[in-house]
Amino acid sequence: MFLLLLSLVAVTSVQAQNKHHNHQMPGMSMDATGMVMGNNKDKLPDDCSEISGEYEINVVAGTSYAKSYASTMFGFNKHEWRVKPCSRITVNFKNEDDVRHQWMLHGLPKYLYDRGMFHMEASGGHSQSGVFIVPSDDKTYLVHCDIAQHMEKGMKAQLIVGDGVGDLWSIPGISADFERPGGILAAKPVFAWLLAAFIFVIVFFVGFRFFKL
Amino acid sequence: MTRLYRILLLIVLVLAFAVLLPWQWYPREWRVWYADSFGASNFNQQPETISAIPGDNAEEACPPDIKGWRKPQSIAGVELAASPNCLADNPHAVAAFVKGTNNVGHMTLMDARLSPDAVVKGRDLDGDGDPDEIHIRLEVFELNGGSPDLDVPVTQYSIAPGITPGLWVFAPKSAGMSTENFESLLAQPGLRLPSPAIRVEQGDKVIVTLENTHYMPHTIHFHGVDHPFLKENGEGNDGVPVTSEKPVMPGKQRSYEMQPRQAGTMFYHCHVEVQAHVLMGLNGLFIIEENRPNNWVQTFNIGDGFVRHSSVAVKEKYDREYDLHYLDLDKELGEKIQQSNDPRIVTQLINRDYDISQADFEYYTLNGRSFPYTARDSLIVTAPGELVKLRVVNGGSEGVAIHTHGHKVTITHYDGVEHPKPSQIIRDVVWIASAQRVDLELSTEDDGLHSYGEGVWLMHDHQEKGVTTNGFGPGGNVSAIVYERYLQDNGWPMTFGMGWKNFLTPGFYQRQEDGSGVTTLLAGVEESGPSVIRLIALAAIAGLFVALLLAWVLKGRSRD
Repeated sequence: MFLLLLSLVAVTSVQAQNKHHNHQMPGMSMDATGMVMGNNKDKLPDDCSEISGEYEINVVAGTSYAKSYASTMFGFNKHEWRVKPCSRITVNFKNEDDVRHQWMLHGLPKYLYDRGMFHMEASGGHSQSGVFIVPSDDKTYLVHCDIAQHMEKGMKAQLIVGDGVGDLWSIPGISADFERPGGILAAKPVFAWLLAAFIFVIVFFVGFRFFKL
Repeated sequence: MTRLYRILLLIVLVLAFAVLLPWQWYPREWRVWYADSFGASNFNQQPETISAIPGDNAEEACPPDIKGWRKPQSIAGVELAASPNCLADNPHAVAAFVKGTNNVGHMTLMDARLSPDAVVKGRDLDGDGDPDEIHIRLEVFELNGGSPDLDVPVTQYSIAPGITPGLWVFAPKSAGMSTENFESLLAQPGLRLPSPAIRVEQGDKVIVTLENTHYMPHTIHFHGVDHPFLKENGEGNDGVPVTSEKPVMPGKQRSYEMQPRQAGTMFYHCHVEVQAHVLMGLNGLFIIEENRPNNWVQTFNIGDGFVRHSSVAVKEKYDREYDLHYLDLDKELGEKIQQSNDPRIVTQLINRDYDISQADFEYYTLNGRSFPYTARDSLIVTAPGELVKLRVVNGGSEGVAIHTHGHKVTITHYDGVEHPKPSQIIRDVVWIASAQRVDLELSTEDDGLHSYGEGVWLMHDHQEKGVTTNGFGPGGNVSAIVYERYLQDNGWPMTFGMGWKNFLTPGFYQRQEDGSGVTTLLAGVEESGPSVIRLIALAAIAGLFVALLLAWVLKGRSRD
């Protein structure tokens, strides 16, 4: 019955999609297997005269890719991709889990991409493919899954165009967390200040005697 | 020193001691004698009175309805009544829940932010004009959770101004982002407390699929709903991790099947580590409507409250219908998910460290909000001479004693089972135990018994801590029965007492005297300090620097 219902969904939603096709945003498709937004095969950003390179990246998403990084629960098979400026990137996004996942890229020019986004969402067990073209400037783009807590728990990655502008924070296997320092003193700041005062006094006296000689 | 000087010194010391000795330590008679002889002490100027909280900082009580969600409308062929409260549910979502997400167009789904398979309505098995195969998909969302990079909660949802406890909720399978947009940290309107009321029709073949989008294992137990212990394929169906099945792990899904033979107001909740998961928000109403021809029920009621598309059987008898979900929350439990970003540590904090037998409960919510936010979307709006159906559940850990000002309500059902008419009782305080449901009939006939006439009549838990937020009032689950004549055009009640502005300043519920507002920081970040090595190095460098500077200055001087 489950399969029957699923096929029913697929059929009806395709019909619904055709019926309402005129209202859709350009570069967008949506059905029961997921959606692609900001699909762009041929519109060049203003600062690019031609497409400089072609890339095809295969992204796999799922909880199994969190195993390499303790303290994460969701992940991608890779958390960093590098491309040349003005290149065209085809993303084949495969979701190995039984729940939705997203591959959402932010910071693209808003005149070409709605809200500056290239966004793919794949339902559990499904795949999506999409294409976008990056502008000419060196930049590090945030890639993540925006389902509550998926980015926080590991589904965060970066696309580096050209030389990029450094790493983003808290990417599994690449960069540190911005907040939340650890250690014994983290819980009781007063001990930290006492320790600092003690060290200061000791070093002051030793140093003072030394420099006076 | 001469003898005289010694005596003088002794006298001075004794006098100083006598003056310094606290006034209260002298015998009362001595003090009275002193005051009679020399008069009273000087006037003590007290500190200035702190001025009242300025309202400048206050949020708008009722945000304008820019998208026109309140007005009556027809979407995808579904006629929707006007929604009287200030904040209305997304009508596109309501229409999709009535027709099924497989039977509405692309734009309706986009506006509803729903997945095309969130509510799939299939064949009409009994030929009475409505679908009887219902496949529902639920996801699990964390609200006000932690983040490795921010010092404030993410996917934010406020139960009251400035109050953002960590929460977990079930929600219909959505599409796209969990936040309003990429720039915002606020949860999109479909993701909120409480977990939504689910409605099916008696005899429907129901499949509920739990898609676990959360980082913790979960299940669903259908409390009071007629369901078999095992499914036809032999898998467990009761949602209990030990007796019937293994929990649904993160990223996995599982389906529950049932064909409820009895109608009534029932309940569903997660059955993993129930002492924490249920009270984090993973519980909601599950309503089985009586079978009627052409009965397209509104499968989900997001946030509960006004039922915009009541079932045929309810409309036969009642003018309006409201779902009311009471839930008390433990502030400390909610903080557990904010204290660490590591799922292993969060699990340890919740499963091992949390001791519910030592817990007290700080937040009292009605339909996921505490006063004054309850006035935005959970007022019971009515008119004279009406019959209103209230389906009430207590999802919390303590009982609630619901009191209706100006009305006595009739309890028609307990736990989904109708009481015989003669034994139905009429009360103005209704006690509801944990997980219990009552169906109430609110009559607005002005007869001095059922109703005392029109007005803005408060409705609240009469255990007084239920009307506080973190022990501070007015807050908690206070709402009101409001007659249309006392409702302003924007859905906000006409009130005649104190202004609302204080309660709408962001710092009020943090007990701030000036109400200026504070950012609620994440529990784990608030107390964090620097690392030991860094601190030692800093102190050492500072010590050396000062020593060098001082030695240099002193050397320079000695040369002069």
